[in-house]
Amino acid sequence: MAAKLDFDVIVIGSGAGGAPIAHELARQQKSVLVLEKGPLFLSQSQATDGLSDFKRDELYAYGAEKRLTHPQVENRQAAFFSSHVEPDINDEPHIYRDANGKDRATIEGYTAQVIGGGTQIYGGVSLRFTERDLMLRTFNAGRTDMAGTDPAGDIEREARDWPLPYVELEKYYCKAEKLVGINGEQGNQLKPFTQKDTYQRPLAPNSISRYAYDGMLYTGKGKGPGGSDVLPYRTPLAVITEDHAPSGRTIISVPDDIKTSYVNRFGDPLGFKSSTWNALLAPIRNAPNLSIHTNCTVIQLASDGTRVTEVRYIDPSGQERLARGKIVVVACSAIESIRLLKLSAGLDSTGFGRILDQQNDLLGKYFLTHAFGGASSVMPERSDKTRSLDADWATDYCATDDFLKAMRLWAGAVVYNNTSDQALPLALGRTHSATDLDTLWHGFANDFGLIGQGMVDFIDNDMGRGLSVSFMANQVPQKDNRIELHPTVKDKWNRPVAYIIKNWHSHDKYLMDTLALECANILRAGGNATHDYPIRGFGGVYNGENGIARIANHILGGARFGSDPRDSVLDPDCRVWGFDNLYVTDGAFMPTSGGANPTLTIEANAFRVADKIGGRL
Amino acid sequence: MKIIPNNDQYILNHCTRFLTRRNTDARHNFGQYDPSDPRARICEAWRFPIIDSYAGAADEDSHAFNKVTFVYPADVAEAPDQVGVTGTFANLYELIPLAPVRFLDAPTGYFAVSLRIPKGRAYRYKFIVGGKAVLDPVNPQQVREANGHAWSRFFTHLYTQPLSFESWELSILERLVDHIMPFRTKEGQDFLQFFYRQLDQQQKEQQYVLSYRLDQSIGIVNFIDNLVAREERHHLIDYKICLSMIAGIIRKRRPGIEPARASKEIFIDLYGEMASGNVMDWDTSKYNDPAYFLQMLRRHAFTGAFSHPKYGGNASALGWRYLADRFRDAKGATLFDWGRAIEQPLGTNPDYHG
Ligand SMILES: Cc1cc2nc3c(=O)[nH]c(=O)nc-3n(C[C@H](O)[C@H](O)[C@H](O)COP(=O)(O)OP(=O)(O)OC[C@H]3O[C@@H](n4cnc5c(N)ncnc54)[C@H](O)[C@@H]3O)c2cc1C
Repeated sequence: MAAKLDFDVIVIGSGAGGAPIAHELARQQKSVLVLEKGPLFLSQSQATDGLSDFKRDELYAYGAEKRLTHPQVENRQAAFFSSHVEPDINDEPHIYRDANGKDRATIEGYTAQVIGGGTQIYGGVSLRFTERDLMLRTFNAGRTDMAGTDPAGDIEREARDWPLPYVELEKYYCKAEKLVGINGEQGNQLKPFTQKDTYQRPLAPNSISRYAYDGMLYTGKGKGPGGSDVLPYRTPLAVITEDHAPSGRTIISVPDDIKTSYVNRFGDPLGFKSSTWNALLAPIRNAPNLSIHTNCTVIQLASDGTRVTEVRYIDPSGQERLARGKIVVVACSAIESIRLLKLSAGLDSTGFGRILDQQNDLLGKYFLTHAFGGASSVMPERSDKTRSLDADWATDYCATDDFLKAMRLWAGAVVYNNTSDQALPLALGRTHSATDLDTLWHGFANDFGLIGQGMVDFIDNDMGRGLSVSFMANQVPQKDNRIELHPTVKDKWNRPVAYIIKNWHSHDKYLMDTLALECANILRAGGNATHDYPIRGFGGVYNGENGIARIANHILGGARFGSDPRDSVLDPDCRVWGFDNLYVTDGAFMPTSGGANPTLTIEANAFRVADKIGGRL
Repeated sequence: MKIIPNNDQYILNHCTRFLTRRNTDARHNFGQYDPSDPRARICEAWRFPIIDSYAGAADEDSHAFNKVTFVYPADVAEAPDQVGVTGTFANLYELIPLAPVRFLDAPTGYFAVSLRIPKGRAYRYKFIVGGKAVLDPVNPQQVREANGHAWSRFFTHLYTQPLSFESWELSILERLVDHIMPFRTKEGQDFLQFFYRQLDQQQKEQQYVLSYRLDQSIGIVNFIDNLVAREERHHLIDYKICLSMIAGIIRKRRPGIEPARASKEIFIDLYGEMASGNVMDWDTSKYNDPAYFLQMLRRHAFTGAFSHPKYGGNASALGWRYLADRFRDAKGATLFDWGRAIEQPLGTNPDYHG
């Protein structure tokens, strides 16, 4: 029988931006095709033999050592490690330009290529953005207090309000929280919630987190409206802790055993982690109107006039195939989506390419990640960090208007403590004094003094005692920060790879310094009764060895949405300006990157767009 | 021979990313291949045949076997009619057919079969394609018989025999590793002694892996031996050159003594010199930087001590047990409760099956 070619909707990519749309439209009985480049990896309960393709196995999840072989890049011969789901950097590198103008490949796995995308291996921190995050143009209009860190007035010129208010997104935050399956607490969050019970109950925090909690209590004193205290709350995490009716997932007899520390960077063999696969697609995978083709890489969108008519892809055997959809949704994660649009434009410069060009020159521009960083220390008492999920406590006191004005910051951040980092022995070794993922194992391998008793002392000192507090903040949008196609480096299909040109704004650096100090203060305050506990270090990602490309796994912007076609790539419904039936719904749509981890917002927005698309079909 | 029913989806999940491609550069050669070897174009060729966990009807079965999937990739247009595999895991010359793998309405060119094969052993095999015996075109592991005859080879989980190193190499490696890892400290020794002493004979036999002598540190050397036979094959050459050089240097410093039996001081000095990058009599034309070798060895030793025991180190989870024993709260409860998350029989988790 010939394979079905025509669908109502084709969704390219099954991660945070793609799966909610496929889920929603399949539920509405539309015919949906999901094309996913990665494999269909299952949890135990989904697999016929009861075994998962994910393991609680550090070596399996981190990968063995390989060497970068691209002759064109400055870091050729560098060691890298990638698991069975992270992109292989020799096959599909992302190239960036370093501070000396030289090209390098990003060593850090930039996402997971698997059904569910990055949400299979993510830490699951699932925070909403604040109302303020969506209104940064309004908030910063006419401010004169940031001249020292933004002498050219870039912030006022480049900040954009989102073309939808928080209240409109809020409905979809509620929907995403419920359907995805998230545990957490609403109380003490400074973001409005219109529905109660959007979260499942959190499990007891790891005991090491009490230091962070105490510190957050202390630093949040008097920082709220009218001098009230801003209190910590349990970080919302995309891991179910109770039976989850929407996805039909059930938990185990001892729920506390869900805490294993095989969470961040690990796929979950038991399916408790609410990846978009576990939560949204697996429950309906046998629906007759939903087709999921995995191991299929889309290589071109072909158009006729303003309609995308064909999606061309390479099937698992390397053969080229096509499919047709009334609506086409691109959600390959921001960099790869922009690349796919640019490659399609290049392959048809008088058709697809011309339509894109007619709008403006913004595709790929205003690429964003997060201003990210924090502080770490070794706490007085040891805890069993293997009993943890990812993050326990969070606080919003660095996101209030008062705080931002007092600190002369353009935008705020969430601050939370990491619990699972360095919980397991290999993680301890490979991240020993590493500033980022380009330098995994360097610190350990070069610390030649760690032998015999020295090794014992190292393990004694670090194991179960390390604690870090992080912030996640908006990066200033800059037009020059952009995604292009690399002129010479090709992927394993001989197509140009993505080229990331990106730098930190002087205000970004100031913001990271400021917020890293807050994180340091939390640890200082929480570590002892006199609030002067010594910390090990603090700083922002820009300080790292290859700080320019950091952080490679929050990939946002580059096709921002807006209500002015001259100023945005997507319309407010995330439809590409100039095209009738083409949508982009991964993180690329964001005009600003938000003061929190992005995934929940990508999911909420995708649910919103699904409603718009559903209304058209 | 038990054939495990398979679905094409599983095969493609484990093949496409690594094998399917158009680019023909030798991108995946980090020194482990001849420049002309077609494997250099393939990502992580070492993953083949695919060694996975096995789910039997009884727990004992699941614990004793791996699921091993043989994959033969052919060009769709020129795919052979029949592909089979024959090897030392079955009666020799028994030909087990590989089934063509399909995607949607068409063949993919891949052929595959999954077999239930005992853990802890190495096997030789060949594909029979169109009546002719051929080596696995993907798997880089090959062995040559005394008569010069070559076979493809693989080994299953918990394999504990040397594959990469001679016994003198293993002994020197053991000494270097002992110097790095804490199992040779007084406390470390006490812990190992205690662990073994508390087992009765039956427990010793039941223990997950106990083919380790007490005077070996928890199988790290075996882990490294396995690792450079498969995942990090490109580092085999580093070990070969450096271990031989180190043996020569020790011999020169202590004539008449077997290098692996040289005193502790000899190894302390050598380690220090290597760390500084400056070893007397080190031939930099053979291997440029002894510190580089040491960095790699340090990473491998640590990884071997604390990786899942299926990789051949961390025998009986002794690395994990050492941490669990070392870190306790005031009431004596462990603060590294590794077994809670890990599958049985190694760990105690009732839900996760490995
Ligand atoms: C280790 C790690 C930890 C993280 N922790 C957190 C966290 O705690 N909280 C948080 O909010 N975020 C976290 N993230 C980020 C999170 O994973 C991403 O924000 C999210 O997955 C982005 O969703 P997306 O839809 O944009 O892209 P993805 O989820 O990456 O999905 C894109 C999908 O498209 C597929 N694809 C790409 N190109 C093609 C093509 N040409 N054809 C077909 N398919 C294609 C990919 O294989 C992938 O499955 C983490 C990421 C990593 C790597």
